[in-house]
Amino acid sequence: MLVRSPLLLGVLIAYPLLVAGLVGLVAGYGSSKPRVALVDEDHLPHVVAVGGHRFRIQDAIDEVGKNVHLVRMDPVEARRALATGRVVATLTIPPGFLADLKSGLHSPSLVYQVTRGGISSRVTQQVQALVYGLNRQLQTAYVETDLRYVQLIVTGGRAEFGGRTYDVLGLARMQKLLQKLPPGAQRDRIAEFARIAGVALAQTGSLLGATANPIGLERAHEDSRSSLLSAQVQSYALALTITFLALLLAAGAIASERDENAIGRLRRGLISMGELVSAKVALAAVVALGLGLAIAVVFGVIVEAGGVAGGEPWQRLPLLAIGLLVGGAALGALGTLLGALARETRTASLVAVLVVMPVVFLGLVPREVVPVAGWLSDGLPFAHAVRYFSASLYDASPWSTVVRELVWLTGLGLVFGAAARLATRRLLA
Amino acid sequence: MTNPVLRARGVARRFGSQVALDPTDVDVNAGETLALIGPNGAGKSTLLALLAGALEPSAGTIERVDDVRVGWVPQRAAFYDRLTPRENLELFGRLEGEPDHASVAQQLLVRFEIPPDRSAYTLSVGNRQRLNVALALLGSPRVLLLDEPTAALDPGQRRRLWETVTALRDEGGSVVFATQNLEELELYADRVAVLQRGLLTFLGPTTEYRELHAEEIFT
Repeated sequence: MLVRSPLLLGVLIAYPLLVAGLVGLVAGYGSSKPRVALVDEDHLPHVVAVGGHRFRIQDAIDEVGKNVHLVRMDPVEARRALATGRVVATLTIPPGFLADLKSGLHSPSLVYQVTRGGISSRVTQQVQALVYGLNRQLQTAYVETDLRYVQLIVTGGRAEFGGRTYDVLGLARMQKLLQKLPPGAQRDRIAEFARIAGVALAQTGSLLGATANPIGLERAHEDSRSSLLSAQVQSYALALTITFLALLLAAGAIASERDENAIGRLRRGLISMGELVSAKVALAAVVALGLGLAIAVVFGVIVEAGGVAGGEPWQRLPLLAIGLLVGGAALGALGTLLGALARETRTASLVAVLVVMPVVFLGLVPREVVPVAGWLSDGLPFAHAVRYFSASLYDASPWSTVVRELVWLTGLGLVFGAAARLATRRLLA
Repeated sequence: MTNPVLRARGVARRFGSQVALDPTDVDVNAGETLALIGPNGAGKSTLLALLAGALEPSAGTIERVDDVRVGWVPQRAAFYDRLTPRENLELFGRLEGEPDHASVAQQLLVRFEIPPDRSAYTLSVGNRQRLNVALALLGSPRVLLLDEPTAALDPGQRRRLWETVTALRDEGGSVVFATQNLEELELYADRVAVLQRGLLTFLGPTTEYRELHAEEIFT
C-alpha cells in the first residue's frame, strides 16, 4: 500500500523525523536551564566597585546564567512564581549585601529557596555553581588587590588607606637605606630579613592564586560528539519516529478493515479477531524495525563520516533491532486499540495523531519535575522505548536497563493487545 | 421433505438500544432458493450477515449442519480497495483454503469479466459488485447468501449471476437472497421470508406468497 503511494510514504518518513529533531533539541534545551527568580532587595547599581575592581552586575548574571535562566522579579512576584511553579527557585540579594561585601568584615549571604521534589538537588547544584562563579570573580579581584598591597610592601610607593595618602618605604628601598648605615651585626641582620622577606613576598602572587583556586578546571579541546548526535537526540528521534509510525499505521490499518467492509468477510471464520489484531501489531513492529534501523544507519554513517568520537554505531544494531521490534509491537498494540475504538480510518488517524503528542510529551517531562507525568508515562511505551534505545546505543553495560525496558514493553504490548482484541467488537457493529 | 443445512433459532441482533432483528427462526434447506424481502431497514441484511457468521447474534444460535461452507455477498462490497481484484481473490482464496488459489482466482476473473490487475478502488460500481460476488464463490460454498446482488449489475451480468446461482441450487446447494425486485422473486425463489421492522411476518412457499399483496408489504 505504501509503495503505491510514494508521497504518503515520503510524508510518513519526513514528518516524524522533523518533529523528532525539534523535540530532541527542545528536550535538550529545556532540561538544562531551570528558571530561577532573582530578587534584588539591595537594589544593586549597574556597576559595583569591590576591592578596587568594577563589576557590571548584568555581565555577572549573564555569565552564571549559562546554567540557569535568571529572571528578575520583585519579592511578591517571586513568591507567587515559586508557588505556581513558574520558577523552580528564588535567589534573593538581601538588603545590606553590597555594604557587607565592600566592608570585607564578614561575608554576606544570598538567600536561596527551592521547590520541593527531586529536582531541588539539581537546581541547588546550579545555584551553587552560580555562587561559585560569582566568588571566582570576587576572589580574582581580592587577590589582585592583595597583590598590589604586597607589591607596595616590596617595592614601596604611594598608597591610599582610609582616605589618606601614605608614602610607603618598601623592602627594596629599605635595603638601600640600610647600606648607608654604619656596618654592624644588627644592620646585617635587618638587611638579611629584608632580603628574605622580599624573596618570600615575591612568591605571594602564586600562593594567593593557589589558595583561591586549589583545583582548577580546564576544558580540553578534543573531538567530541555533537549535541545533534547525542544519545538523547538519537533515542528520542528513534522513539518518536516509531511512535508516530506504529500508532498511525496500526490505528489506520485496523479501522480500514471496517471501512472496506473486509472485516465481515474475515469474521466468517477465516481468521479470528485475535489473529487480526496480531497481524496489525506485527505490521507495526516490522515497519518500525525497518524505519528505525534506517534512521540508526543514517546516524551511524554521519558518525563514521564525521569521525565523531563516542558510541558504537554498528556493534549495537542487533540490540537496537530487538528494541525497535518490541517497541513497535507495543506501540502497534496501542494503535490497534485506538483504531478499534475509533472504528473509522479518518477518525482513527486523527485520534492517533492526537494521542501521539501527549504520549511523547509525557515521556519528555522529567520525572523529578512532575512525578505524576512519570507514572503516567510508565503506562505508555514511549518512555520505555527511549530508555531502551539510549541504553542499547550508549551504555557501557546496557543489560539491566535493556531487560527491564523489554519486560515493560512486552507487558504493555500484551495489555494493549488484549484490550484491542476486546475493542474489535466495535468494528463489527 | 426438508433437509436443513443452516438453522437459525431465536436469532436476534441489537445495535446498542436499536433492535435490528427480533428473535427469528429460519431454516435454509438443501437445494432451495429462499428470498428475503421487505422494506429498507426491515432486517434483511442483518439476518443474512448473521447467517453468514459476519455478525454475532445478540441472542439465539446459528447452526451450520455438517459445517457446511457458506459464501456471502454483502450489500456493500467487502474487499481491500488497495489490492487488485486478482490479489483480493488470491488472498481470500488462501484464507478460504483453496488449494490452488491462483488458478481459482484466474477462473473467477475470466468468468465474471473483472479487470484483473488494477487497484480495486478504480473499478466501476458494476465491476466492484462482480468482484464481490466472485469472492463469495471461493471455497466452493454449498450455501450462497446474497444481499441485493444484482442491484449494480447490467442485464448480461444479472443473467450470468443467476445462471451461477441456479446451477449451484441444481447441484443441491442452497441460495438465500435479499431483494427489492419482485420479478427476481417470481423467477428464482422457492420460498419467501418477509421481514418488517425486524420481525419475520411471513415464511412460506412463493406460491403461497403470491396470494398476498406484495405492494402492501413494501409500503
